[in-house]
Amino acid sequence: MANMAVSRIKREFKEVMRSEEIVQCSIKIELVNDSWTELRGEIAGPPDTPYEGGKFILEIKVPETYPFNPPKVRFITRIWHPNISSVTGAICLDILKDNWAAAMTLRTVLLSLQALLAAAEPDDPQDAVVAYQFKDKYDLFLLTAKHWTNAYAGGPHTFPDCDSKIQRLRDMGIDEHEARAVLSKENWNLEKATEGLFS
Amino acid sequence: MGNCLKASTLDDISLLRGNDSTNGPISGTQSMYHQDEHYQRELYPSTLASATRTPSSNNRQLSDENQVKIAKRIGLMQYLPIGTYDGSLKKERECVICMAEFCVNEAVRYLPCMHIYHVNCIDDWLLRSLTCPSCLEPVDAALLTSYDSA
Repeated sequence: MANMAVSRIKREFKEVMRSEEIVQCSIKIELVNDSWTELRGEIAGPPDTPYEGGKFILEIKVPETYPFNPPKVRFITRIWHPNISSVTGAICLDILKDNWAAAMTLRTVLLSLQALLAAAEPDDPQDAVVAYQFKDKYDLFLLTAKHWTNAYAGGPHTFPDCDSKIQRLRDMGIDEHEARAVLSKENWNLEKATEGLFS
Repeated sequence: MGNCLKASTLDDISLLRGNDSTNGPISGTQSMYHQDEHYQRELYPSTLASATRTPSSNNRQLSDENQVKIAKRIGLMQYLPIGTYDGSLKKERECVICMAEFCVNEAVRYLPCMHIYHVNCIDDWLLRSLTCPSCLEPVDAALLTSYDSA
């Protein structure tokens, strides 16, 4: 069975390398070790989304029982999205769980994740805080997602106000990532964020 | 019966390692009892083998319920026709599960939706999920319908 996993990944790898999306630099995939059980994916943030202009790295682990079970995928690049944990990068997507089918491939998984970035499902969240912001304060969600895309994925939009608030917390000895996470969660209310950190 | 068959267990497939012999062409007249006995003989050694490989799999036990479920699936799968690939089929040239091309005279199993797969490949998949991997059409419902009309 393990042999089927490896031989299929090898075939898929060849196939995905020839795909149109690779040529357009919309997705990327590379090997991490020689055993073909761990790969690294990359997807470009889709246009007209707060993720546009960002490159998001994914960890892909191929189980021994592949393709009968789905690959285990998580975001390595930090991202602000209702269906992706802002802490661990864990993804809530049906095809990576119960709706997996053996005909799906690494290519279709990466394309599905790209589609997820363009169409969040806040009613089926992985990150409750992000999902709440998405539903309750959509403008702030967009700002936060763009800011995270800039900070972690090389996105183009900078927000000096966010940066200065993060700097204020850093001056108090808070780690940059923690400062960003707390401020994002508190809708960029510096007072509330400080209170949360020091109470 | 339908409820048992629909529930999918992620571990199903790992329990089936090394059971290639159950996947060969099997005539519909062979008794179910024989199938189950043969299957279980194959099943237990491989369960033990997988338990020694990773500590996390120590808890893996086949419940009676799961055994019944798997046995029922195997029974159902016997009704899916097997043919040999004649090379003239224009639709599919490769098995989408292993992504290897079909060879002429190789045994392939037909699903009700007419998608074809290597017998070994599709049988392992059906033990996990009774749907066509290509079009996701449920296999059990289609079979039950064909029983009704027969």
